[in-house]
Amino acid sequence: MSARLTALHGNHACALASIAAGCRFFAGYPITPSSEIAEHMSHELPRIGGTFVQMEDELASIAAVVGASLGGLRAMTATSGPGFSLMQENIGYAAMTEVPCVIIDVMRGGPSTGMPTRPAQGDIMQARFGSHGDRPVIALAPASVQEIYTETIRAFDLAERLRTPVTVLYDQVIAQLLESVAVPPPEAVHVSERKWANGAGPAYQPYAAGEDGVPAMARPGDGHRAHTTGLTHSESGFPTQSPPVVDRMMRRLLGKIDVNQALIEKYETLMADDADVLIVAYGITARAARRAVTVLRAEGVKAGLFRPITLWPFPEAPLRRLAGPARAVLVPEMNAGQLVLEIQRLVGRDPPVHPLGRIDGEPIAPDEIVTAVKELAVHA
Amino acid sequence: MRPLPNDDFAPAPWPVTTGMNILVVGVGGQGVLMISKAIALMAQRRGFAVKQSEVHGMAKRGGIVFSHVRFAEEVWSPTIAKGEADMLVALEWAEALRWLDHLRPGRGVFIADTRQIVPPFACRSRKAGAASAYARETPAEIVGRHADGCALDATGIATALGDARAANTVLLGRLSVWLDYPVAEWHEVIDAIVPKGTREINRKAFDAGRAWTAPAPDEDDAAAPAVAAPMPDLHISVAIDPAWCKGCTICVKLCPERCLAMEGPVAVVATPAACTGCRVCEWLCPDFAVTVKNEGVPA
Amino acid sequence: MLDAAPSRSFDPKDYLRLQYMPHFMCPGCGHGIALHALLAAVHDCGIAKDDLAVVCGIGCSGRVGGYIDANTFHTTHGRPLAFATGLKLARPDLTVVVVTGDGDCLAIGGNHLIHAARRNLDLTCLMLNNEVYGMTGGQASPTTAATRFTSTTQSGAIEPTFDACALAAAAGASFVGREVTRQAPALKTLIARALRHPGFSFVEVMSDCTEIYGRKNDLGEAPEMILSQKADMRPDSHRDATDQPFRPHALPTGVFVERDLPEYGARLRAHAAAIRKEAGR
Repeated sequence: MSARLTALHGNHACALASIAAGCRFFAGYPITPSSEIAEHMSHELPRIGGTFVQMEDELASIAAVVGASLGGLRAMTATSGPGFSLMQENIGYAAMTEVPCVIIDVMRGGPSTGMPTRPAQGDIMQARFGSHGDRPVIALAPASVQEIYTETIRAFDLAERLRTPVTVLYDQVIAQLLESVAVPPPEAVHVSERKWANGAGPAYQPYAAGEDGVPAMARPGDGHRAHTTGLTHSESGFPTQSPPVVDRMMRRLLGKIDVNQALIEKYETLMADDADVLIVAYGITARAARRAVTVLRAEGVKAGLFRPITLWPFPEAPLRRLAGPARAVLVPEMNAGQLVLEIQRLVGRDPPVHPLGRIDGEPIAPDEIVTAVKELAVHA
Repeated sequence: MRPLPNDDFAPAPWPVTTGMNILVVGVGGQGVLMISKAIALMAQRRGFAVKQSEVHGMAKRGGIVFSHVRFAEEVWSPTIAKGEADMLVALEWAEALRWLDHLRPGRGVFIADTRQIVPPFACRSRKAGAASAYARETPAEIVGRHADGCALDATGIATALGDARAANTVLLGRLSVWLDYPVAEWHEVIDAIVPKGTREINRKAFDAGRAWTAPAPDEDDAAAPAVAAPMPDLHISVAIDPAWCKGCTICVKLCPERCLAMEGPVAVVATPAACTGCRVCEWLCPDFAVTVKNEGVPA
Repeated sequence: MLDAAPSRSFDPKDYLRLQYMPHFMCPGCGHGIALHALLAAVHDCGIAKDDLAVVCGIGCSGRVGGYIDANTFHTTHGRPLAFATGLKLARPDLTVVVVTGDGDCLAIGGNHLIHAARRNLDLTCLMLNNEVYGMTGGQASPTTAATRFTSTTQSGAIEPTFDACALAAAAGASFVGREVTRQAPALKTLIARALRHPGFSFVEVMSDCTEIYGRKNDLGEAPEMILSQKADMRPDSHRDATDQPFRPHALPTGVFVERDLPEYGARLRAHAAAIRKEAGR
């Protein structure tokens, strides 16, 4: 069976992909511009034996999602910036206790209530650093409705496989954009089964992991009667503040991302190999950048695009490799300059890295990027 | 002295033409007032003047309740003086004994439930089965001292009928043998004062009390002591785990028998023999350090 | 899952994680007594340890769950009811007990309490009320009585307090009760009734904070504190006898609400089944 072409809104595609990925629990709270995901899930889940529950707030939504995942279900929530802020503490809890879950953050203009119906890309650092302390972070940034579909499925795969929360970041524009999507047949959808502690025996340690850094999870009722806590814990799952144990456990927790970098990392390039000016763009902005590259190449400017699809952990090595020979790097994004900080950290001063931020609630147009690149190409 | 009641004993109806003094005694919750109300109501129906006075202040705490019922053509004093009660109806055995001196010597009628409710102050020790200071007279001995009367297990009869609370009506039924008005009239009186839903059980209890016959002397447990033989010692042990005890002293200060004591920072069992197995220490230990084991009666 | 007669006699050690005992609560802390009563109630209801999930929040009450040999979850401050909602919806086969405190449940988690009560999902919420934030050093909580001294009310508390039971009842909880730790056997019976109740059941346990609250307010040592509970309480048997309070400022105990309301999980599943049936047509 081949893929079926159908026209979908971004948020609808996200809901359908979640169900295709085996998501059977959704808890959420209404917020523009993500509410359509909850609406679709409330319609679909009861039809396939899943559970939809509208909670009293975003704090409760993510808590219920983690609770359901602890019970063994694939679970998710969807929100926008203000709600994402409220969820941060329990996202940290999910990371610490290694409970798989997927959080969709449809970014809108901020800060505070900001512009609920306008797009933005202002939550990417919140996705990275929003929760207190150091935690493993995976964030994916699809740029089309098709990619919302595939990346949502991948988010569930990574969450289940690595036992960690995964955030999918996209903006109001593609959330409410209608595009053709090639919906893959069910047999083509693969989501890893969580590593369960079934039959692990009395020596089972809930937070002892092998090479991949991922411990096997006890499921309530399976006889392990494990303890789950957000306190720093040893392999036993019980709290500890012993420095060597805490160090070992935290390094394993954070190292889970490094060990599996190849699995998580995903990016796309367009004429980046010989680019004088390398554009680094993600999400909706990358679509404008793609157009800009085509226009610039036609005008003889050697521009190229590096598009991270996995935003966190950032695909560091390929970016360094491609940015090295370039004369300048441009980072257009719909915020006052967030990812540019990461690119500057990775690339250093040579070549110089320039921001191109837009914070007025309008997407960045290809022309703006073309103009900025031409300027860099002349001066660099 | 009259002989002990037995099968061929047929109580003689009281000549109820000149009025009577009836003393009803018991403890809180037994229905003393219900009986006296029934008697008073019946006397009223018969055209007597009635006075009833009662003390029921401690009723809710299981304390003493008594009621004086006097009826005659004319009644002046509301209470019955010592030695002037024509009948003593006791719903509880210890109360029966306490009020004996109110019965008219030589002709007072004694009716009592033999069921014992042992009060705390009669217990020398709270240990199960320990000897008590409860009265040792047998029902047969007491009944034998009076002109007329009977002692019956009214609570047992009422329980067999389905509701132990109807024991008072069993005694009322017994009383009706002496206060011999038509049974139908008694039923009407009962119907008038008991809750609707309990009319049937109360009528049955009344009839059972009225129809009661004393067991034959050889089956009578006249020789048996009024108080059951002390039960053998139970295997109760209390233990404190010093590794878990944090020395909060809750168990030491709340043990009713003062079995436990502090020894340095932890509690220890000081007088294990005094333990009654009430488990207060075990329930209230916040640290799971106290274990009370009750192995039951040894084989 | 719940059966009437437990076959073995109750030994709390069967339900404790012995390797972590003695627990870390202060000497005389009422939470240990409440834990004992909870374990006895679980035993009475015949709930298997594998089928029991205990979800706790943060604070002294939050650490109670870790000592229970069951599926235990020590979650974030104020959110245990929300976590438990997800867990119970995902796993209706589990008996889910939430152990929370007065700060966890009424302050930071107040919103979750009223909505859990409104939803009527089959959870048993045990709120250990010691009138103080013990873990953080004795600050005032929403149940700290007026004039009491705490580290944030150093000249006496002035705020009115929450009546947690009235709050839960008003929010729609289908079972609401309160008991003092002094009456541990009655507390066990109350918790057992709450566990058997199908729907959201809320049990407030009046628990003593001896080392911090008791000291700061001159309430005596642990035995004096626990004895004074009895002077304050007014059991429901007394309430039935008269409309007037037994004593002024008395603390009512017993079961306040027990009503037959549709349980949320069952309702949700029936609703889904009806949708599927209609869609299948």
